[in-house]
Amino acid sequence: MFKKCEICNVRDAHAMSKTIIDSTGKGLQFQSLKELYLYRDLFLTLAYREFRIRYAQTFLGFLWAGLQPLVTLVIFAIVFGRALQVDTSGVPYPVFALAGMSAWMYFSFVVSTSGKSLITDQAMISKIYFPRIITPLSKALVGLIDFAITFILLILFMIWYGVSPSPHMVWLPVFLLMALLASLTFGIWVSALSVRYRDIQHIIPFMVQVGLYATPVAYPSSLIPEKYQLAYFLINPMAGVIEGFRWSIIGQGEVQPLMFYSFGLIALLFILGLLYFKKVERTMADIL
Amino acid sequence: MSEFAVVVSGLGKRYRIGRKASGSLRESIVNAFRRSDKEITDFWALKDVSFNLEQGRVLGMIGKNGAGKSTLLKTLSRITWPTSGRIEINGRVSSLLEVGTGFHPELTGRENVFLNGTILGMSRREVRSKFDEIVDFSGIERFIDTPVKRYSSGMYVRLAFAVAAHLDPEILIIDEVLAVGDADFQKKCLGKMSSVAGEGRTVIFVSHNMSAVSSLCDTALHLEKGRIRTIGPVDEVIRQYMKGDSLHEGAGKDWLTHPPVQQDEKVRLMSAGIRTPEGTPVSDIRVNQPFDIVFRYQILGKDCRPVPNIHLFTSRGEKAFGSVDTNRSLQCEPGIYTAGVRIPENFLNEDTYTVGFALSTLNPVIVHASDYEAFSFEVLDDLDAITRNEYKGRFDGVIRPLLQWKTQKTGDL
Repeated sequence: MFKKCEICNVRDAHAMSKTIIDSTGKGLQFQSLKELYLYRDLFLTLAYREFRIRYAQTFLGFLWAGLQPLVTLVIFAIVFGRALQVDTSGVPYPVFALAGMSAWMYFSFVVSTSGKSLITDQAMISKIYFPRIITPLSKALVGLIDFAITFILLILFMIWYGVSPSPHMVWLPVFLLMALLASLTFGIWVSALSVRYRDIQHIIPFMVQVGLYATPVAYPSSLIPEKYQLAYFLINPMAGVIEGFRWSIIGQGEVQPLMFYSFGLIALLFILGLLYFKKVERTMADIL
Repeated sequence: MSEFAVVVSGLGKRYRIGRKASGSLRESIVNAFRRSDKEITDFWALKDVSFNLEQGRVLGMIGKNGAGKSTLLKTLSRITWPTSGRIEINGRVSSLLEVGTGFHPELTGRENVFLNGTILGMSRREVRSKFDEIVDFSGIERFIDTPVKRYSSGMYVRLAFAVAAHLDPEILIIDEVLAVGDADFQKKCLGKMSSVAGEGRTVIFVSHNMSAVSSLCDTALHLEKGRIRTIGPVDEVIRQYMKGDSLHEGAGKDWLTHPPVQQDEKVRLMSAGIRTPEGTPVSDIRVNQPFDIVFRYQILGKDCRPVPNIHLFTSRGEKAFGSVDTNRSLQCEPGIYTAGVRIPENFLNEDTYTVGFALSTLNPVIVHASDYEAFSFEVLDDLDAITRNEYKGRFDGVIRPLLQWKTQKTGDL
């Protein structure tokens, strides 16, 4: 008796649902947000799946998430810290680099996983409807786990070197949000473009690798000559985010107006990306 | 609330066939400079499809392969977007185009139930509240925390179907997913499906299996070449569909108007087709009916002795078999020849087969003429086929021969 009622309730909750599929495209625009909310559990489950699969049957499991930044850090410390002796204004080099790396690794993880997510999940996409945007979006959540591990590593290094956190720390969530937005922007663009142009898949690993050196991760942006700074921050929106990270965590550098160019660009590209994705969404199952 | 669960009006879906469809960056760039539009042809998988479906109806969609059933199903499930027209759906929809969508081999059964459930549109809470029922239905309690990759395919399907069976939609769209699993489990699923229908929910069901359609559905829709041929009471539509079949022009090939790719001066292919044993040209045949593949050709040269041979390919392009005329003393003087080969009943499996023909001298091998994609024909399943015994599910495999079995009790326990 009780069971029966429960089923009725579930049904009643959706009793008013009405779907209109119109070839001209009217009628679905404003439903999208509401729909995303309805599918929130799928978002969580997909993120959980990604997370579980990554470390399934690995011996070291979670440790891998910490090992990767550590190895990169060692290389950076040798090349940039020792050999090139970049000026970190007194901050111990490992702390300096890790602060930037935490944001960069998050970015590169999200861009590469969400960029290929539609292709990885194409079997699913051709068999069932769900708001496709969930696929790339869910990767932003998974990336946060790795980010947290890198961040813990950073805290350990700060304790070890006796670096006290900057009072700007309260701004970190803002920059984290920017990092998330920037990663998703690229992720959404790449995933939508790669539906039609598979070539994009091959460009991404390359782009991420070049990006690591084209972004002030291993060195401060003050190293870039003044006259190129605008171009530097505009071409590479992550530059502003990384500088912001470092500023809020260890108080290194300063908030420059140039950063806001980066942020404005990210916001613009994000909105355009969503619109483009929406356009591609319809033909996705036919092309994939 | 409207009394119609589904209102479809003027629905059309166009696919572009051509080089452009494959789409890569290089091609897009190349095409921008060279207008290669002429290489693209339009293909309407659906055209002017309009119908209303009242709430609580169980609609069976029938039609041959390529009639547009899957496209219609995918459009109704919002997987692909229509090119023209409009669909209005009143109520929560669940569509099952396959079982176990999103199942990941590395995850455990439990995790996959949640994953699959949320993909199918349930909330986590809903899955949690039905979890015990689902596991119970699947009958694999013991393995629920084992990664799915260690499951047998039967267990996999059971679990996947169990999730699907516990969906609680107002409108259920199902592709032939019922054609899986063992007989017992299928009965369970068919039972579950008719109980869903019994509860006044709207169901749209696609199947090749006429007996399933007629027992489950009250309404049927017959699609042909992307258009609705008939829609109405199930028995009427099925009767018409079956009758329509035999009136069909036979499948075949006329090489005199479409010359084969390869042919030398010694022979000339004329025509080919399939016939019932009575000689009626047909384009499809049931698994439990014998038929003839007939092949006409001319021998023009005097000094060769070509032997006719046929080659059958499955819809996936695998070769099913090849066969040559076994007569060692074939005539070889110029003239018109007709070769016929009887394909016995209970031999081929359900599929769309493509027939290839060749005329070859066998020793040494010289192929005088060949066409390996002459035409296609369909072998349709029959639920009463003797090779099935009581099994109602899908048969895999290229052939489904009737073999001699001998099973007897050989001792006491």
